[in-house]
Amino acid sequence: MNKNNLILYIGILIFGLSAPFIFPAFKVQLSILCILIVLATTWNIQGGEMGYNSFGNILFYGLGMYLCASVQVGMFFPLAEWTESGGEKTFVHTPSQFFQGMAVGLAVAAIIPTIVAGLIGYAILGLRGHYFAICTLGLGVAAGEISGGIEIIGAGQGFTTPPFPDVGGLEARGEFFYLLSFGTLVLTFIAVRAIYFTRFKLILNAIRDNEDKAEAMGIQTMKYKIIGWMISAFFCGLAGGIMGGLVGYIDSTDVAFDGREMGVFMVLMAILGGKGTLWGPVIGATVFHIFKEGFWTFFLGWQYVALGFLIVVIVIYFPEGIMGWLREKYPERFGEVVDEADRKAQVELK
Amino acid sequence: MRVKNILITFVSAIVILFSTSFASFAKVVGDKIILGAAISLTGKYSSNGVHTQNGYNMAVDRINSMGGVKVGGKTYKFDIIYYDDESNPKRAAQLAERLISQDGVEFMLGPYSSGLTKAIAPVTEKYGVPMVEANGASRSLFTKGYKYLFAVLAPANLYLDVAIRTAVELNGGKGVRIAQAFEQDAFSQDVRLGILDAAKETGSEIIIDDKLPKELNDMAATLVKVKQMKPDVLVVSGHTKGALTAIRQIAEMKVDVPMLAMTHCDAAKLSKQHGKNSQYALCASQWHKTLTYKDDFFKDGMTYAADFEKEFGYDPPYQAAESSAALLVFKDAFERANTFDQKKVRDALAATNMQTFYGNIKFASGGQNVDKPMVLFQVMCDGAGNCENKVVAPLKWASAELIHPIPKWSKR
Repeated sequence: MNKNNLILYIGILIFGLSAPFIFPAFKVQLSILCILIVLATTWNIQGGEMGYNSFGNILFYGLGMYLCASVQVGMFFPLAEWTESGGEKTFVHTPSQFFQGMAVGLAVAAIIPTIVAGLIGYAILGLRGHYFAICTLGLGVAAGEISGGIEIIGAGQGFTTPPFPDVGGLEARGEFFYLLSFGTLVLTFIAVRAIYFTRFKLILNAIRDNEDKAEAMGIQTMKYKIIGWMISAFFCGLAGGIMGGLVGYIDSTDVAFDGREMGVFMVLMAILGGKGTLWGPVIGATVFHIFKEGFWTFFLGWQYVALGFLIVVIVIYFPEGIMGWLREKYPERFGEVVDEADRKAQVELK
Repeated sequence: MRVKNILITFVSAIVILFSTSFASFAKVVGDKIILGAAISLTGKYSSNGVHTQNGYNMAVDRINSMGGVKVGGKTYKFDIIYYDDESNPKRAAQLAERLISQDGVEFMLGPYSSGLTKAIAPVTEKYGVPMVEANGASRSLFTKGYKYLFAVLAPANLYLDVAIRTAVELNGGKGVRIAQAFEQDAFSQDVRLGILDAAKETGSEIIIDDKLPKELNDMAATLVKVKQMKPDVLVVSGHTKGALTAIRQIAEMKVDVPMLAMTHCDAAKLSKQHGKNSQYALCASQWHKTLTYKDDFFKDGMTYAADFEKEFGYDPPYQAAESSAALLVFKDAFERANTFDQKKVRDALAATNMQTFYGNIKFASGGQNVDKPMVLFQVMCDGAGNCENKVVAPLKWASAELIHPIPKWSKR
């Protein structure tokens, strides 16, 4: 890591840690931004690096959400009574119960989806191209419908997550969830960045570029594909667990297994920023979120039309994403050697 | 590494953007009381979301034009900040947060549907923002111990309770065989629980108990079973889409069932959209224009309906009426509290005991309205195919007699 890099990272870290105090009114939006970046960055492992367009990562996000909330409640109270509609009892978490529950819940929300990813991955990562994409699309939809029928997690009634305990005043909840989301974002980024400098990333790229050749070279592609998916699942599960607590109410298809929104957004954000790059998903998610929030305020009722228009513009003018566009425009800044004479010659040819 | 420079520029651009978009409103600006509401303008609840919004707007205009709200010797007018929650609970929760922490709203109106209200209630509760909601009926909203949530409507489990009891009564007090199909959402599932309770108490048997998906366009599978098993009562609930789908497919498949009980018939404008096909359907309703409640602003149900039709071009469904009533409750509470202190307004709300054109309003400790029964109406058509909703139960307000059993399709 050179000096410039270090300054940049420290700058972002300081900005990230101080953001909720500089913009206290935007804590929730900032927390969601962190979650979106985590989702886009982890999707990029499949969609960008490995060339497997997965619509199934939402499965791990939703699983994490339900698991975290269930553990948080189930550790201290009977879960079935909590989720039973019309139950006359009201359970209240004490602060220590809430935070203990959250900690254990998040651990479970990260680990179980990872295992599930391993199992499902073993079954379906043999599919390639469109077949894989369609199969994973089905995973999210099926999970939504199934969870909507399980009584113990609230079924169609939904699941109200434990309310934040009465500590630290009004702002405490927002600050807690922001720091948690930002922490997860930092963790995810560090992990993904670390992978960037390993042989593992090269193998993923090899799978993307030509899986058969990679296999012929003696790489056990299946193993690496599964590991890649498990890494994504780990962070998606964490993100889901946090999001559940942040929203406060889990609905099977609209909040947890929300393939129609989150599932599509994570793909869009990665593509917008530039898939197959480290910073692409981060930039993509940020730009996307800002535009989305803006449209929401200024084009009430038309926000999806505006968003659709943005997507069309992106696809036409930035097919390689923002990072891809920058790279094409300023290749030397990405460390590529450019022969000036060669470039001039190209321009003149046109 | 100039890329980093670009990144730095980018980060600072965000900072600027965020800091300029700070536009805080206070709850009371000048002579305006600003209420916040997240409404489903798009998504699966959009038609009911619009009914809700129209109801709110109608009441705001009426109250403002009739002198506004008098607090501390000064006259204030209502104003509402709307956002679109896209029928999505996640978004609704974010918007509630946004209304309160960014727009500085200190009093909220409810969204449409129980699910969205469930998502918003924890937020308003946390900030101590009083919320009067008109469209979240799920019983579980009122058992969580929320202190700042007030619902002007009767809880969801009571919606079709009357229908089952009526069916049992007509069956000579013996239990009936019930077929039911409910959408997978908080409201409909609560209606289902109400039916389960009623069935247990009356010794009725549930022979079909189906779940319907959220994007509800087809329930043929359930109807095939109904044709085979011949239940005494068929109960369907799935908001507007559920009502429309049920009537469409029952008519297409010529399903004969002695009693058909549903929710959301008036919001779906069933009698207009499906005409004779919807005949004899029994519908649970929070309100009907022929009820005889009165208040100073809208006079009575008939006047409200006429005024509403003049302004929005359609007969008001109960979703609009109850939304208008929410504003009347707020006005009353503000004037009795005589201050804008949230705690005091909350206490005033809790002590509400009033009559509106929509019904009596008095809140139990859980926040639900305990002073207003549900009504049942039946779609009735004349020979020319003009259909109308007529109240058939409870008897106190009945304007027509219940037709039971429903004639078979072959004899219509």
